[in-house]
Amino acid sequence: MEKAGSDRGDGTPQSRPSGKVRPDGLELLLAEVAKGDHAAFRLVYDQAAPAVLGIVRRVLRDPAQSEEVMQEVLLEIWRTAARFDPSTGSAAAWIMTVAHRRAVDRVRSEQRASERELRAATASIAYDEVSDAALTSLEHQRVRHCLDGLTDLQRESVTLAYYGGYSYREVAQLLGVAVGTVKTRMRDGLIRLRDCLGVE
Amino acid sequence: MRARGAGLHTLVGAYVMDAVSDADRASFERHLLTCEQCRTDVRGLREAAARLAEAAAVSPRPELREQTMQAAARTRQQPPLVVSQKRQFLAGRQWRHASRSARAGARPWLARVALTAVVLLAITATVFGLHLSSMQGRLSAAEQRDTAIATVLGAHDATTLTAKVTTGGRATVVMSHGEGALVFIASGLTRLPAAQAYELWLMSPTGATPVGMLPPARRGMSGPMVVNSLSTGEKLAMTVEPATGARQPTSAPVVLVALGS
Repeated sequence: MEKAGSDRGDGTPQSRPSGKVRPDGLELLLAEVAKGDHAAFRLVYDQAAPAVLGIVRRVLRDPAQSEEVMQEVLLEIWRTAARFDPSTGSAAAWIMTVAHRRAVDRVRSEQRASERELRAATASIAYDEVSDAALTSLEHQRVRHCLDGLTDLQRESVTLAYYGGYSYREVAQLLGVAVGTVKTRMRDGLIRLRDCLGVE
Repeated sequence: MRARGAGLHTLVGAYVMDAVSDADRASFERHLLTCEQCRTDVRGLREAAARLAEAAAVSPRPELREQTMQAAARTRQQPPLVVSQKRQFLAGRQWRHASRSARAGARPWLARVALTAVVLLAITATVFGLHLSSMQGRLSAAEQRDTAIATVLGAHDATTLTAKVTTGGRATVVMSHGEGALVFIASGLTRLPAAQAYELWLMSPTGATPVGMLPPARRGMSGPMVVNSLSTGEKLAMTVEPATGARQPTSAPVVLVALGS
């Protein structure tokens, strides 16, 4: 397990195959953004926007809406950069947390009961699409490799929740398993992913 | 922990992936206040989830970049937190509870109130920030810590204890048995060589449990540190240890506070 207090410095993964977001640089940049540095914000955008748009689009699907939400997320980062505390995790994790939450909030606020049922019916298609399209490029093979290391139920629970934006109750219904089982698989799957990726 | 706590603990994965209802989120975040392991788990799992996002990266249309820059130029940034704001906020909310329940002791009440004020003042920024933050209710680890601090300070049974540190300085503990947690803060501690640091312990008849290294002092103030999982009959001790920390105390405590029951 990681140490409680100081996980900066020694905790950053050494080689980051995705190369999309380099946390060390991002943390320094955010400190500049906090002071209103527009040039630094441009660099934050360049580093973070592709992953932000990527995850938002996985969840929302609609390209136009996804672009809108991506911009909202980046603006949120601009607005609240002074409140980012590096001792609580990496800048990338902070930004992706904001992005995913925004996307899910958007889905939940718009999706009403009847619509959700329809959405549930197409879930298996959504999952196949995710696992094929999202993770085939070379630089993401490590994540893919780690996802492959999960049990089927863990992998499905994690991808439906994170990429699909489904709640654990919905995932349970989609997969036809007990709610408690899904909760456990989400946790265990994510833990296994964390350990496999060597994130701290 | 209790069955309810254990049940909540399994929610950590769903919580990190936003796969929870608002009600689930609220109860899990309450649980986080008293579960340090859960806060550690949340932090690590968020890093893992971020990698899933990065794996899904796609290039935005080029024109979005300038649009976003222009929008930023029109958007006022939230300022960092300022001490006077915190004090104002804290004065209104926590002062009453903490000072009211300060335990009678050798020090005159005025001194105790003053000490409580020092503690409140030192409880950094972030308590105030939590309420200002518009991160849609999501709590960062620092905010969770500060919420934990606010919870202890606001507890009905909050008790303030102070003790002299034998090597110099004073330690102040605000403790709530109801919340099973305490907030530790020290002032004027003797500076240690770089290779050494102060370490806190919970001492019980069965031995010493390490509860963490005290961060280096800022402007003479060390902490605040939140210590969870108090049980009755324990004492809080601080020793001087190698900066990397020790598993068991290797020297005599420089302060020992009986936590009572």
